[in-house]
Order: sequence, then structure tokens, then C-alpha cells
Amino acid sequence: MINLDSKKDIRILAYESSCDETSTAVVKNGREIESMIVATQIKSHQRFGGVVPEVASRHHLEVITQITRKALEQANVTWNEIDAIAVTYGPGLVGALLIGVSAAKAASMATGIPLIGVDHIMGHIMAAQLTAEIAYPALALQVSGGHTEIVLLKDPTHFEIVGDTRDDAAGEAYDKIGRVLGVNYPAGKTIDEWAHRGNDTFHFPRAMMEDDDYDFSFSGLKSAFINTCHHADQIHQELNKYDLAASFQAAVVDVLAHKTIRALKQYQPKTFIMGGGVAANRGLRDRMEHEITLLPENIKPKVILPDLKLCGDNAAMIGAAAYNLYQDGKFADLTLNADPSLELPYADSMLNE
Amino acid sequence: MKILSISTATNQLSVALNEDQRVITEKNERDERNHSEHLDPLFQEILTENKLTLKEIDRFAVAIGPGSYTGLRIGVTTVKMFASILHKELVGVSTLQALAAGALSDQDLVIAGIDARNDNYFAGAYLDQQEQAPICVIDDGHYHIDTLLAAIKKYYEDHPVKELVFVGSGFEKQQKLLEQLEIPYRFGTQKQNEIHAGLIGQLALQEKPVDADELLPKYLRRTQAEADWHQKTGKPFGSDRDYVEEV
Repeated sequence: MINLDSKKDIRILAYESSCDETSTAVVKNGREIESMIVATQIKSHQRFGGVVPEVASRHHLEVITQITRKALEQANVTWNEIDAIAVTYGPGLVGALLIGVSAAKAASMATGIPLIGVDHIMGHIMAAQLTAEIAYPALALQVSGGHTEIVLLKDPTHFEIVGDTRDDAAGEAYDKIGRVLGVNYPAGKTIDEWAHRGNDTFHFPRAMMEDDDYDFSFSGLKSAFINTCHHADQIHQELNKYDLAASFQAAVVDVLAHKTIRALKQYQPKTFIMGGGVAANRGLRDRMEHEITLLPENIKPKVILPDLKLCGDNAAMIGAAAYNLYQDGKFADLTLNADPSLELPYADSMLNE
Repeated sequence: MKILSISTATNQLSVALNEDQRVITEKNERDERNHSEHLDPLFQEILTENKLTLKEIDRFAVAIGPGSYTGLRIGVTTVKMFASILHKELVGVSTLQALAAGALSDQDLVIAGIDARNDNYFAGAYLDQQEQAPICVIDDGHYHIDTLLAAIKKYYEDHPVKELVFVGSGFEKQQKLLEQLEIPYRFGTQKQNEIHAGLIGQLALQEKPVDADELLPKYLRRTQAEADWHQKTGKPFGSDRDYVEEV
């Protein structure tokens, strides 16, 4: 009996609705994507220059039953073949999270299939598990619109933050300077493209780069960028937007790479992972890969950079993380609620500061 | 027919099980902003007590709005999923019609409303129709109190009723303006001022079921961001569907 059971495939239907994407996916054994549906609302929020939470929540609800059915259909499975229903319960926009949470709970109640609540950040990091096998301990650089963190993965379910941003997240800084350059949200991709056509001529500050910790700060960089543009405006001087983008990106990537490499030297993990929307940034991906090739052979980790389509918000990554929680027996009950400020635990080294 | 009905439209959480017209059980909980935690366990409680499973429910009914936007979405999402997965019937009932249904009496006009702050109300006016669902004579909408009272006055001039009955929330503070109407009026009792899922179940019995994919809350109000955008650009709001794309 037990032997047979342990060989059984575990199939998880996952939900993600923490911000402006509504997504469902069926993931087999935490590694194989059998279906993934992503309904994006970018077009709607571009009207406002950024995500409006109430509008986001309304859109999530409009598609939730349809994309549930679609995920099952595309995976060619029925509810009978689903072993668990997983959902992002935080962090994120509370009204948006609540659509996924309410839907997943209702689905669990209607079918009797167990429920698993997943931390969105754990999900982003576990996008790597859909790309390649992770050897533990692992270290992740998690960079998105809401987060910039260095996370130590002791095993598939025990994560600790060893460094994070003291103010703006890297992705947030991209959107804010994007606005100054007239690039609509989400600005990351365009700034990345422009950066490749320009040079670092402005030498913006690299905040906290030489500090003896793994924390980040991007608000100073953002202010320096905005001041430079305003000053040029006042004296009617035209600045090269490609050079501005290149200079901004160089400052961000320098700090991220520098601190991450130092963390890799200290923690010497077996795997290095990148996760989050900014992990799709070409400049950052190339730089990290290059820096890691320069590490001494005995501490060179395996590198997993998730597929570009798995860097943004999606339910497949939630299904991947949920599989590990399933194996650990970490289930949720019908009282599961959205937790907009959910955080991974901090390492002792950070709490003792 | 077994009907399971809910309201998450206000800070009162209400769940009921009806057998046709009869309310078998109704549970009410006052829980500020915590419907998400309490709704499903409350369902479970009712089902267990009545030795039923969700599969044995024939029709799901929900207060579809107006009301707290987040609250409405929790309720609507939940029953949409139930109906869609279990292939059961689904009905949305106006929150205001359900409120009015609890206070109807012959010859009175019932004004059901939910306080929307700054002297604004989500409100509608309803008349008793004996065996049938209360009929709406002032459409559910988002009204300033002055607009609402003007509409009531106009209706009264054409169709004199014995008394006005104000039910729901926030009308007590308008007493001065209500006096100026010079129409007999009274406020609902505490019980009448709360939404009862049992009544939603009864109203749902007379409604035609809708496709679970199509059921959406009736917010009765655009978001501020959309209104501002519309005013600034002059562009039409467009269909919500056009703003969400599969990638």
C-alpha cells in the first residue's frame, strides 16, 4: 500500500491572484506544467499608470470560473485526478488575494480536495523547480515590483530572508523612473531594452554597496535619477534616454550582483536561483551568470534562472511550491484568509542587528 | 428544492438553508471585515447540522449588491465556484430587494439603503406584491440623500402610500430631512435593518438561474480611478472584458 502510494503522481491545481494577473495551473509532482493560464489586466491598469487595487479585484472575479475550467481542460484532467488545490494567500493586494483564496476554498469545499496556502515569494523562488532540480541548501535573489530579497533555502519548505530592501523594491524603482521617461507601467522591459542601447554615463550612486550586510536601498538612486532629469529640464538640456536607462540599470545591477556574490561566498549554497519579475531582466541575468563563472570552482553553485514566462506572476510556480508543502503535510483549512503583508521568516543574523 | 443562500454584502454575515419557501435554518454573524475566514466554516456548520453535503444543494443564491465591494466579491466568488464545479443552479438577488423583503407591509413604501458615506446611499424603493417578490419602484442606485428624497417625494405625489419605511443603515442621521418630506415614515426594527439570507433564498426561488461565469456583483458604482480617467480623457469606459487578455 505505502509503496504504491509513494509512487503515485501528485497533481496540484493552483491559483494566483495577488496583483494584476489571474492565473491557474495544473502542475504534476511540483515540476511538470500540465497547463498554465494567465489572464493579464495590464491593458486596464495602463489607463491609470499603475495597478488600481479595486479595479484589479473586479477583473480577477470576471475570469475566475472560466480559467479554473480551462486549466483542467488543457491539462486534460478532471477534479478526480487533482490531489490538492493551492493558492497564494499573501503577500499582495488584499482584495485581489481574496478572489483566489475564496475560489480555492470554495473549490476545496465542493470537491473535498485538500487545500494548501502558499506564500507568493516562496512561489516566485520555486519557479526554478519547474526549470531544473534544486540542490539544497540554495540561495535565491528574489527581485520584483514589491520585493528585493536574498533568501536562504535550507530545504524545499524552510526559507529565511538574509537581506532585503530598506525602502523601494528594485521593480518599483524601474516603474517610477519609467514614469519620468514617459514609459508606461510595467516599465522594466522597455528600460532593459533601452539600457542595452546606451552607456553608463551618469554614474548614479550605488547605495549600501560596501555595507557589511545583504540589504538594499533604491530610493536614493531613484531620487538621483529624477533630480538629474528635472535639472536638465530646467536648463532645457536634452538627455539621452538610452544612456539614462543604461546608467540606472548599471547602478541597480551593480548593487544586486555585488551583494549577491558576497552572500554566495558566505553561504556557499549548492544552487543559486533568481526569481520574480525583475529576474526577467536581461542585464541582471547576464551579469549574474557572468559573475558566478568567476567564482572559485569549489564554491561555484549550480545556477537556475527560470524561463522568462515563469518570472512574472503565474500559478505554475504556486503549484511547484505547494507540492513541497504537500510532501511536508502542510495543509490549510477553510478558515484560510488573505494576508497582504505575509513575510518569509528573517534569519537570526538579521533580527540581531 | 434545497437552496443555500448567503449575504456578505454588509458587516453582517448571513447564511441560510431553505427548502422551497421554508427557511430551514439561518445563521447570522456580525464580523467586521472577516467574512473570508467565517463564510466557509459557517456553510460547513449548516450542512453538517442538516446532514447534507454541498452536492445535495439544488440552487445557490447570493446577495449580488450593492454593498461592501470586497464583501460582495467573497460571496459571489464562493457561490460561482460552487455552482460551476457542481453544475448547480445559481441566482443573484439584489441586496436592497432582500432588505426590503424583510419589512414589507401592505400600503407602505419600503426604502432600503446602505450608507455609502458623505450623505450618499446605495438605495432603492420597493412595494409589497403579496405572493410575488417585492417590486422595485425606485431603481437600485448610488444616490445623494437629496436626490433619493426627491425621487421618493415624486413617487409619493403620484402614488400615495400610507407610510415610508426606511430600512438598512445610516438613515437615522437624516431625520431632519425626513421630517421635511412631510410624509409619515418610520425606521425599520433592528431585525429589519439586517440582511437575512433566508429571505434571499425565498426571493431566489422566483428568479431564473444564470450562468456561473456571467454572475458578477452589482457594485452600482465605477471606481474612482475609472471615473477620473473617463473625465480626463473623455474616452468611453468600454467593456470590462476588453481589458483582460490571456497571454
